[in-house]
Amino acid sequence: MRKIRVFFAVLACKLARTAIRLLGRGGTDFPGRLAMKICPDLLGELAKTVTAVIVTGTNGKTTTSRMIEQAFIDSGISYFANKTGANLISGITAEFAVHSTATGKCKYTHAVIESDEAAFKQVGKLVNPKAVVVTNVFRDQLDRYGEVTHTLNNIRIGLQGCKNAVVCLNADDSLSASLAEELPNEILFYGVNVPIYKSRVEEVSDAPYCIKCKSEYVYDYVTYGHLGGYRCPHCGYARPKPQIAVEDVKNSDAEHSEVVISMDSRQFETNIALPGGYNIYNAVSAMAAGKAMGLDPDTVNSALSQFDCGFGRMEKFDIRGHSLRMILIKNPAGCNQVLNFLTDAAEPFLFVACLNDRAFDGKDISWIWDVDFERLVEMGDKLSGVIVSGIRADDMATRFKYAGVPAEKLRVIKDYSRLCEACLAQDKPVFIMPTYTAMLDLRGTISKNYGFKNYWEK
Amino acid sequence: MELKICHLFPDVLNLYGDRGNIACMRKRLEWRGHTVIVSEVSIGQKLRASDYDLFFIGGGQDFEQEVLLEDLKGEKTAEIKAAIADGKTFLAICGGYQMLGAYYKTWDGQQCDFTGALDLYTIGEKQRMIGNYMFTCEELGGQTVVGFENHSGATFLGSGVRPIGKVLSGYGNNGKDGMEGARYNNVFCTYSHGCLLPKNPVLADHILKTALSRKYGSADLAPLDDAIETAAHDYMAKRLSANA
Repeated sequence: MRKIRVFFAVLACKLARTAIRLLGRGGTDFPGRLAMKICPDLLGELAKTVTAVIVTGTNGKTTTSRMIEQAFIDSGISYFANKTGANLISGITAEFAVHSTATGKCKYTHAVIESDEAAFKQVGKLVNPKAVVVTNVFRDQLDRYGEVTHTLNNIRIGLQGCKNAVVCLNADDSLSASLAEELPNEILFYGVNVPIYKSRVEEVSDAPYCIKCKSEYVYDYVTYGHLGGYRCPHCGYARPKPQIAVEDVKNSDAEHSEVVISMDSRQFETNIALPGGYNIYNAVSAMAAGKAMGLDPDTVNSALSQFDCGFGRMEKFDIRGHSLRMILIKNPAGCNQVLNFLTDAAEPFLFVACLNDRAFDGKDISWIWDVDFERLVEMGDKLSGVIVSGIRADDMATRFKYAGVPAEKLRVIKDYSRLCEACLAQDKPVFIMPTYTAMLDLRGTISKNYGFKNYWEK
Repeated sequence: MELKICHLFPDVLNLYGDRGNIACMRKRLEWRGHTVIVSEVSIGQKLRASDYDLFFIGGGQDFEQEVLLEDLKGEKTAEIKAAIADGKTFLAICGGYQMLGAYYKTWDGQQCDFTGALDLYTIGEKQRMIGNYMFTCEELGGQTVVGFENHSGATFLGSGVRPIGKVLSGYGNNGKDGMEGARYNNVFCTYSHGCLLPKNPVLADHILKTALSRKYGSADLAPLDDAIETAAHDYMAKRLSANA
């Protein structure tokens, strides 16, 4: 009976996905939900023979997963990954189903699974991974996730289900590092031992007060947001010493970063193929994941210089000789890190922000007021102009007006075809920051008008 | 003219975009040639309420709001009450609004005592009230105000205060009586973040006028080009009307 259920669930999922693609769409949510209706714990069944690593946390999940994937490829491991941002339980179930035979046997030995923090509560237990990476916990879309302590709790419950996993935690994040204490699992702390930026945007800390006793933390240094060398003068809770640590940031420019990572009494010269301080964290967490999965550290280290950028994570489009870079934005912490990167730019650029407020973007857009866009304006002529778009373009325009962007530099273009043309009608490189569904819409326009592949065809 | 703004607990009560309200008030005064001085007063710092003309209190996460309770017990509460009685202008949003009330009782019966500066109290509900919403403001001549609410506390007003507006779409104070926010003397309270003032320029100017008039007897606020702000307001007002 059980085998028959698995059979029909997998079949239904595959058929539904094929049908949806024939219709020219890229959804994975419906096929997964359909399969779960037929067999509610399908994921647990399909994951039984798979050695998995799960990546969860607020920011950096996708990029970290891509880094681990590259390490898997370079190690010759047969694996699959949930590539298209399908990181809820329905999407993850669908990914497992389409990579399984009709009898529910996975075609691959390994999997790299990115999991939404709330979904991780269930996903962790069902997948029973060999390793879990928690990237960080920041304040995120409050209408979806609630407060940071709520997110932390979801991750805690998920980890409790991962009995056999080595857990990689960010030592520099006072919130997620605190998860170590209650876990019997082996813990690998990773972190950055030195400041990253010479100057940083003005940020609101998401965790100024001790998670244990509510006293104010003292910081020896801050890398960004609330990350860094924190300690509580009252109860003694402090940043644990990371086993995998960035000891030195030698160079961090618009294309990449060069750092020194220490692990197992060795020093690795690491070249990270993406710019931005937050990607230094993603890289060191991928090194930790590699150790937890038993990969050769030199292979992981060289993978970091070669991996493909994730969907909308500094993804580059070259259209008619123009360079467009797309950087997904979700929350103030992530957005501020992109600005930290952009304010280091050597050449003038055009800045585009596309703000949607559908469920996947976060219905509450007030976080745009917590992003230090004022710093862009301080760049003067290096900011050649700002174009705003998306469902809430007018709110975004208001934000930039109050950030001090002069009226002649600020344009509202809601139509994506016209937006793309406006980007191509000038000669500066373009940085586009869309929210999730705005990115899907905009990519749709780019692929239709300029012949790029749709994401589900990749 | 000059306005001294006090941002209370900016590092604790800073939930999603509240600092945009400060930025908005600053710009709208500076664009008219007025001087603005913003000071921040947080936990453990002395508050001399007589030094300021306008107070802003934002909303926070429950975890951080608990950090505040101890600090509020002392002289800050007395200073806040005196400033309200003295006709100083306050804008309090969400958690800050609740904090000016008598208490917050969680759904399982635990009570946190707040400042008691205003005649209102809040009861925690299991179901959060979340979403874009809109209310009309009588004192703005029926002008609508749009914003985003996200609260589990249902607030009820005593006879000593009146609401700031009537809910057209969404929950407002408690999702039951159709009332939104609170008004008392020159105190303005609302659940609306989103962020409130930038896309509700009429309300922003009304609050600034209130503070300037209290200080100078009259307020000089020249008209501004609010086309962008109005577009943001009108978009949401239209969307919410269509769904109503």
